[in-house]
Amino acid sequence: MDIDVKQLHPLEIKVLLGMSEGEEFDLPSLTSRFNLKAGQGNQAVSWLMGKNCLEETSRRTRTFYELTETGQTCVSEGTPAERMLACIDEGEIKTLPEIASKAGIDNKDAGSSFGKLSKEGYLSMDDDKRVVRKTPGTPPSVAAVRGLLEKAESARGTLEESALTEEEKEALGGVSKKRGAGDSLFRVVEREEVTYSLSAEGLQVKAALTVSGITGDEAGSLTPEMLADGSWRRVSFRSYNISSPPQRVLLGRKNPYVEFLCGVKDKLTSLGFEELDGPLVETEFWNGDALYMPQFHAARDIHDVYYVKEPEYARSIEQPWLDNVAAVHENGAGTGSSGWGYTFDRNFTRRLVLRSQGTVLSARRLVGAKVPGKYFALVRCFRYDQVDATHGADFYQTDGIITGEEVNLKTLLGVLKMFAEEVAGAKEVKYVPGYFPFTEPSIEVHVKHPVLGWFELGGSGIFRPEVTKPLGIDVPVLAWGIGIDRMALMQLGINDMRELFTADIEGVRLRRRQD
Amino acid sequence: MPKIEVNLKDLFHLAEFETDLDELERRLVCAKAEIDGFDESTGTLKVELNDTNRPDLWSTGGLARLLRVYSRGGIPRYDFFSSLGDVKDADKRVVMVDPALETLRPYITAFAVTGKPLDESTLIDLIQTQEKLCWNYGQKRKSIAMGVYRSDMISYPVQYRAVDPDKTTFVPLGMEERLSLREILEKHPKGREFGGIVAAFEKFPFLTDSRGEVLSFPPVINSAEIGAVQVRDENLFIEMTGTDLPSLVHAASIVACDLSDAGHTILPVRIEYPFTTCFGRQITVPWYFQERLSIERAFAGKLLGEDLAPEEMKACLAKMGVTSQVEGDTVTITVPEYRNDFMHPVDIVEDLMIGRGMDSFDPVMPREFTIGRLTSEELFLRDVRNIMIGLGFQEMIYNYLGSGKNFIQKMNITGEGMVRILNPMTENYEYVRNSTLPALLESESVSGNAVYPHRIFETGKVAWLDKEKNYGSVTRNFLGFLAADREAGFNEISSHVSALFYYLSKDYTLEEREDPRFIPGRTAGLLYQGVSVGIMGELHPAVLTNWGIEMPAAACEIDLDALMYPGLSPHEEGTSWK
Repeated sequence: MDIDVKQLHPLEIKVLLGMSEGEEFDLPSLTSRFNLKAGQGNQAVSWLMGKNCLEETSRRTRTFYELTETGQTCVSEGTPAERMLACIDEGEIKTLPEIASKAGIDNKDAGSSFGKLSKEGYLSMDDDKRVVRKTPGTPPSVAAVRGLLEKAESARGTLEESALTEEEKEALGGVSKKRGAGDSLFRVVEREEVTYSLSAEGLQVKAALTVSGITGDEAGSLTPEMLADGSWRRVSFRSYNISSPPQRVLLGRKNPYVEFLCGVKDKLTSLGFEELDGPLVETEFWNGDALYMPQFHAARDIHDVYYVKEPEYARSIEQPWLDNVAAVHENGAGTGSSGWGYTFDRNFTRRLVLRSQGTVLSARRLVGAKVPGKYFALVRCFRYDQVDATHGADFYQTDGIITGEEVNLKTLLGVLKMFAEEVAGAKEVKYVPGYFPFTEPSIEVHVKHPVLGWFELGGSGIFRPEVTKPLGIDVPVLAWGIGIDRMALMQLGINDMRELFTADIEGVRLRRRQD
Repeated sequence: MPKIEVNLKDLFHLAEFETDLDELERRLVCAKAEIDGFDESTGTLKVELNDTNRPDLWSTGGLARLLRVYSRGGIPRYDFFSSLGDVKDADKRVVMVDPALETLRPYITAFAVTGKPLDESTLIDLIQTQEKLCWNYGQKRKSIAMGVYRSDMISYPVQYRAVDPDKTTFVPLGMEERLSLREILEKHPKGREFGGIVAAFEKFPFLTDSRGEVLSFPPVINSAEIGAVQVRDENLFIEMTGTDLPSLVHAASIVACDLSDAGHTILPVRIEYPFTTCFGRQITVPWYFQERLSIERAFAGKLLGEDLAPEEMKACLAKMGVTSQVEGDTVTITVPEYRNDFMHPVDIVEDLMIGRGMDSFDPVMPREFTIGRLTSEELFLRDVRNIMIGLGFQEMIYNYLGSGKNFIQKMNITGEGMVRILNPMTENYEYVRNSTLPALLESESVSGNAVYPHRIFETGKVAWLDKEKNYGSVTRNFLGFLAADREAGFNEISSHVSALFYYLSKDYTLEEREDPRFIPGRTAGLLYQGVSVGIMGELHPAVLTNWGIEMPAAACEIDLDALMYPGLSPHEEGTSWK
């Protein structure tokens, strides 16, 4: 027996416990015996059959004749033949249509009744097409139908074929139909009658039920009424099938990528960094010039940065930063640098672009920065790039700075180690010299991913004095940037940058971070 | 970042060592170089160079030089450089410059090569150097273009002239017929590629010898004869033209040093300018123009976090090929002939760092205490997000760039006041969004198969044009949310708005609003302290149809900065970064 009796439905339990070995029963008897609602008996039987607890003991077909609505009417008002005879017996001699109209019979019924009665020799038609009585008295065929109607009426409208005489069956043949019986007096209905009894399996389950003391009267759910009147004390609760599949819930939920970004922000604030933010539209001044990228630098080409169409230029650049930065590009401006040695274009510097690097915010923050101070920005940037699996039209960058009298290359390495361990969760870290136009020296940090191997976590360095001094900072400033999109892809288990900003609701609902 | 191909055997030969690839990769760190691939069958190594200020490393010879010096020592000496007060004899090797070039493509440098037949690997490396120098360092030939010629066929002085592009003809390399310079721009592949540099000039740069034999049409193409250099040619003439003389002199030095390392003899060429340049009217190339640069021990120690004795500094620099002199606590370097990346003493610090080795610096945690803090906007956004999630909404995040079709046409709006990109790569990303609603609708349009109801939201930035602003636009933080299903409508979205404002402790009022994105009579403006901060309503069936959405939807959008900073002028941005 593989059935857990605790998981049986109360209906099943009632049937199993209520029937004894070898006892035969059918649906109607089951329904009346256990006082079931319509459909419950059927449910109980089909569930128990499905569990092999019941077996069929017999199956036969019974034929019934049920009074139709037409038949019902004829019981009280008479059949068309009866009404036709009564009309004629009233005396006046009439044509068939006149009789039909007077007796309320439709023409088709009138025709067929006349045909039948004239054939049996009770009516005929004279030369003037009038119907005349040929033989007095009630024809046997009419009497037989009347008998059937009365009998059916007293049997609640249903006659079973097996209980009828041969004569009655013959009479029924003319007034009943299987299909389209609306015009006939009787409808022929065939019913399958099946009887069941408990199977061997059923008997075992029944025994198990008896042993476990389950009665089927256990309560389904706890109701407020049960709590109010204390009746819960007298009932036991039905066990549920705890492994049936749960229904899906649609919930409100953070976007996993946003959650990742917030996690990075939280981590950075926990490490003492203050968050920066800024406008999406920037000037060439802050986007490049302030970072000591020469205006002829390859990365400042029209093919690398998005330009704003209208207006093309900012009205002005904040002073004295504009003069300071222009001078440092031109001749080093007393920073100890030779400068780039070209004429700074004060028009180009006002050119409006979409922010192309997060470092812009670090440059802006240098103005009036705290010393010591730590700042970070995790912001949307825009690059002129073909959108593909590794390039988005817009994407997030994380950048930051650390100002302080005491900061240097070794503390930069310390900070990078901290990022590698705290932000990327890396155990192995490697530093190599790098190149960025605004830092010197510059360091790249690589970390080892357990599956993917070494990858570049980010770039960093000490801001060049040509960057810091024009903006009023005279202490070393460590600058760093972390490639967080790569980390996001790893954490979310996806390999296409475009997926981070997906519009697909179902995809976002199902996405979760990887273990 | 430039990538070069080097023959591994040649590299080892010139570097004077041989290792496996793992060890080579470790050694390449001193050149900020990484191995990008190795083809076993040809023995070709692909190397990526990360320093755009070190074009001297973009050749087999240059890379090998640093590797050799770093691991074995021995700074190479080049005795063919002229400098102020020590000008080498150029003999009859002179280039005369046409005054008309001053406003076109003014500068040229040149030198000659002899002493040994050109072998195949040196020629291949020379061509690669030419490509990388001119492409990456020379802004795709705009500021530096290089030509190599058979000097046996040249009679000096060479003439660098400005000529009529329609009347001047020659047979360019790779073709068999004579073409005018202007025809070359149209018909020759190099003309089509680089012709743009000179196309707008009245006269075109042109290089001939004293008899008028054509060397080249710089920066486009060499002549088919003098300009067709082959393996085993022994005597070469190399020139570079462009717009920035120091870069041209530097580039000539790089090529001269590489060829010298390969065993060739470098012969100086004198350039005679009819106008004044930053190096005077006469320059003998290769020309050494770098000034000495000094660094103090204390300055280096402060940046490195490690106090290095001057003698140790000298040793570190020597590993990088840099000669230096010590005087007390000052170290003064002589910049190597092939380098031009010392602008400030911090540039010496980098060579000290690499020369000493990254492993010699131990990470130290910064000790200074600072307080970490999120922006107040971020904190407010987080409050909003939490409430929206509590209301059963799924958070989304979208691109800020999009198409006019999505942001304007499908929304039934005019698109006035949107920040537009001048140089979009594709029309799919041509506008900066000024609303979160198009993205939410795009989600609906692709999510018909996701179980309903849909409740989605996003917080993020939008921008719009504003003539009052110095930058011509305003960036703001917005919230947008949308509910879609059979029952979605004004009542539901209104309940959500009510709950949101309640938990933000803000009061709001409503006013009737007409907006082509929403159904008339089912649209409300949200007012906070009498100022409009948003809109909500049932999305117009015409808009839904534009997006191909077949489910009713209602949406709301709120300017969170306006909500957060009451009285914020429409021309201002959030306070934390204003």
